[in-house]
Amino acid sequence: MSVLNSLKKLGPLCVALLLSACGANSVVVEGSYPSPNVRPIPLTLGVYFDADLQNFSYTEYTETGKEEYVVASGQTHMQLFNSVLPSMFANVVVLDSLEAAPGAQVDVVFAPSIEEFQLALPQKTRLDAYEVWVKYNMRLLAPDGAYIADWVVTSYGKTPTESLRSVEAGINDATVGALRDLASNFTLTFRSVPEVSEWLETKGAGN
Amino acid sequence: MMSASLARIITTKTDLFRQCCLPLLLLVLSLFMSACTTTTVDEFRQGETGIEAHQSIVILGRRQGSTYETREEFVTCVGERVARGTEAIRVIPEKEFIDSLFPWFEPRTAPLRTSDLQVLMEEPLVAQKITEYGIRYIVWVDGQTETSNRMGSISCAVGPGGGGCFGFGSWEDDSNFDARVWDVSSFASVGTISTDSTGQSYVPAVVVPIPLIARVEANACSSLAAQLQQFVNGG
Repeated sequence: MSVLNSLKKLGPLCVALLLSACGANSVVVEGSYPSPNVRPIPLTLGVYFDADLQNFSYTEYTETGKEEYVVASGQTHMQLFNSVLPSMFANVVVLDSLEAAPGAQVDVVFAPSIEEFQLALPQKTRLDAYEVWVKYNMRLLAPDGAYIADWVVTSYGKTPTESLRSVEAGINDATVGALRDLASNFTLTFRSVPEVSEWLETKGAGN
Repeated sequence: MMSASLARIITTKTDLFRQCCLPLLLLVLSLFMSACTTTTVDEFRQGETGIEAHQSIVILGRRQGSTYETREEFVTCVGERVARGTEAIRVIPEKEFIDSLFPWFEPRTAPLRTSDLQVLMEEPLVAQKITEYGIRYIVWVDGQTETSNRMGSISCAVGPGGGGCFGFGSWEDDSNFDARVWDVSSFASVGTISTDSTGQSYVPAVVVPIPLIARVEANACSSLAAQLQQFVNGG
């Protein structure tokens, strides 16, 4: 009887172990992002994170087509923009929808989106590094929804493999590196995007 | 039958061995059982140097290369050693400096030449932060440790009666690092210190593997740090 009881107790554990072997590993990217040291533009920015960005996750598949890693980076992207944008603009308002912009007293609306996410794992590339490459589409709209600017920003991050570092930690660090690269690139090139530059001139905030 | 007092004496002696002799034995073994390393340090001076007590330096790793990037741990090691001893120099930690001056010292945006630093210092926020830290010199460390000539193999087995390993493995490590020193007050490169450290590591295994590791990167770190400290102090 005692053997049967033990088997009954071990049964669910064995099933759980078998199921965990079948599923993909989940990586929820976590990082901290410093505020940029740049002169703020004296305008009020409305920022809108759509559901695709908020819940963005990338799935890496094995060579046989099975899900291997699910990298969830939507929340950390929002954290990054919430850290960067208040240093770039005098005021920042987070919008629940694009329709809320006219009533929010904002000068402009910023709506970022992720177009492409690529992950390179050392076991596949035979390199001693985890690499992440991300392509973004940045949109700048007037409060009424009219087009101001639309441009592409790419970012890249890598982290070397280390003896005691897990694959999940490697993916996390490479993604955080890519996000820092996005922040630095976006911050320093924002004013030089031709349409943005023209729009800033019209608002008297060109220099 | 062993008397209680004899058993106590044996136990006491065993404890004494564990407390005193065993750590000493392990220390002696670790000293003798590390493999040999050869380190060469070169210095190329382009200008006068010297630092005052209220001034500091920052040591940053170069991470622009596509094939490798300077390890953060090596940069930290050099910084910690430069900040020690009788000729200690105040060193601003790399991460703190890079975060504080974000986004100007990221891999994509960091100045590659002294003329870039001069342009960067025209940014009021950057100049203000560097002045607040009292930074006199920026030291760029660039390099890596490569492992080559891996040879041999070790096999391990476990059976009902116990387990063990048998075999022999060896490899060679080569650390090459450069430290370029920029004077923030004159926007000029004042010199370069290069270190090249090589060593062969061995792991013979007869039942138990005995690693004889050449501390190549650690030696490169201490040699580079000692020379850098002397260089910055004007020696």
